[in-house]
Order: sequence, then C-alpha cells, then structure tokens
Amino acid sequence: MILGLLFSIIAGSLVSLQNIFNSKVNERAGSWATTTLVLGLGFLASLSIGLIFEGKQLFDLQNMKTWYWFSGLIGVGVVTSIVQGMRLLGPTYTISIVMTSQLGFALLGDSLGLLGLTQVPFTSKQLIGVLVIVSGILVFKLGGANVKHGAAKMIS
Amino acid sequence: MKGILFAFLGGAFITLQGVANTRISQDIGTWQAATITQLTGFIMALVILIFVRDRKWKRFKQVKPLYLAGGAFAAIVIFSNVTAIQRIGVTFTVSAMLIAQLVLTYIIDSNGWFGTIKQKIKLPQFIGIGLMIAGVVILRF
Repeated sequence: MILGLLFSIIAGSLVSLQNIFNSKVNERAGSWATTTLVLGLGFLASLSIGLIFEGKQLFDLQNMKTWYWFSGLIGVGVVTSIVQGMRLLGPTYTISIVMTSQLGFALLGDSLGLLGLTQVPFTSKQLIGVLVIVSGILVFKLGGANVKHGAAKMIS
Repeated sequence: MKGILFAFLGGAFITLQGVANTRISQDIGTWQAATITQLTGFIMALVILIFVRDRKWKRFKQVKPLYLAGGAFAAIVIFSNVTAIQRIGVTFTVSAMLIAQLVLTYIIDSNGWFGTIKQKIKLPQFIGIGLMIAGVVILRF
C-alpha cells in the first residue's frame, strides 16, 4: 500500500508542477500549441525512458488491440473540456467540478471493475470517504477569496 | 450549465485516461502504453493545431525553456499513475494525487516560486486539506 501511495504522491506533485509550467506556455502560445508541445515531449520522454529500461522490447506490441491506438484521444478530450469549462466558469469552479468528477468516476471505475480493473465492492464507507474528500476540495477551492491569482488556479 | 458539463466531462476523461492506461499497460507494458498514447494524442493535437490555424505557437520563443519542458514530466506521471492504480485502486490513487497536487500548489503559491504571485495560506485551505486526508483515512481503514 505504501508504494502505491508513494507513486500517487509523485504523480500528483508532478501534475502540479506541470500545470504551472504548462499554463506559462499557454499564456503565450495558446492551448492547442501547448497541448501539442506537451504531448510531443511526453512522447519523447516515454520513448527514451522506455528504450533505456526495455531496449528493443519496447517495440514488442504483440498484445496490442486496435482501440489502444485511439486511447491517446482521451487526452485531447481532457484539454478541450477543461479549456471550455475555464472559459465559461472560470478556474476556481471549473477545477472544483473537475476534481469532484475525477473522484466520482474513480469510485465508479473501482465499483464496476471498469476495463478489467480489480473490482472493489462499493460500500457506504467508500461513499462517505469520497464525500468527505469532495467537501475538502470545495472548502479548499471556494473558501477564502485568495484563489483568484497564483498557481492554485491552474490545477487540473 | 454548459460550463459545468464541460468541467464534469474533463474530470471523467482524466480518470478514464488513467484507467485506460492501466488496462493497456497490462497487455503491452507501461512504457509502451505511455509512448503510444502520447504519440497518438500528439498527432491529434497537431492536426487540430494546423486546422485551427493558431499562429501563436511562434511565441514559444518568449517562454523560459524550463517551462517548455513541463511536458516531459508526463512520462513519469503516467508510469506512477498506472503503478499506483495497479496497487491501490483508482479511488485511493486519485484521492492521494489530488491531495499532493493541492498541497504542492499551495506551497509554491505561498512562496511565490516560479513567478507565481505570493500569497498567504488561509484557514479554509488548511481545513480543506485536513478534510481530504480524513476522507482518505475513512476510505481505507
């Protein structure tokens, strides 16, 4: 469990840094140029690290299914939705809703065993846990007026 | 209303992305999954960029190189995200990620790092993080 938690914290911290950096690019270059750059660099980094750890095996794609080729489009959906949300609602409300929705769908995914995930039975304890986390997000994002500037607005 | 729908979809897509990456990793490996999904995403974004004829990309030059390199983090984000989901499930992973994200962002904000406007951390933010951690504890124990 500790290792899983540690990886989650690494991922969350890097997402936070990435959001700040990306939004600096976004201010100048616009959202599609930023997305293209971010995904391009992510691809190059994954390719390089993959080659270091796995060598030629990186290109061994025997169990590849057709839909895997299209899953990258989900990322394009993420950007489009959040950019539109930001435009219509502003960052504070958008991010509050995005995070709540992320958690809600996580709970749904675990409960259904979505896409072959290990199914985690849905219990009232889980529902209460998620509701408490969501209330935390809302207090954090909507409590106090100092979230309008700075990095906090860029979290996604 | 439309804005709420977009934000809601955005969150759904982020979670779906993690779950899909985990599924694909099972079959072809995590680095393979990260490489392929970002390559196809990149191609799609490039096509859209050309289609919308946004000439602003030329302003990349005005951005500090460090900030331009942020995209490279995604390799480690995807690897960590997939590994965490495999070990502790989606709900726990997303919860811990969100807490780490909010905490680090506020540390950065309160110090004014990376050119952010320095600001004081107020009580609601402390209470919010406290509630989120309490929620994770309820979720797990």
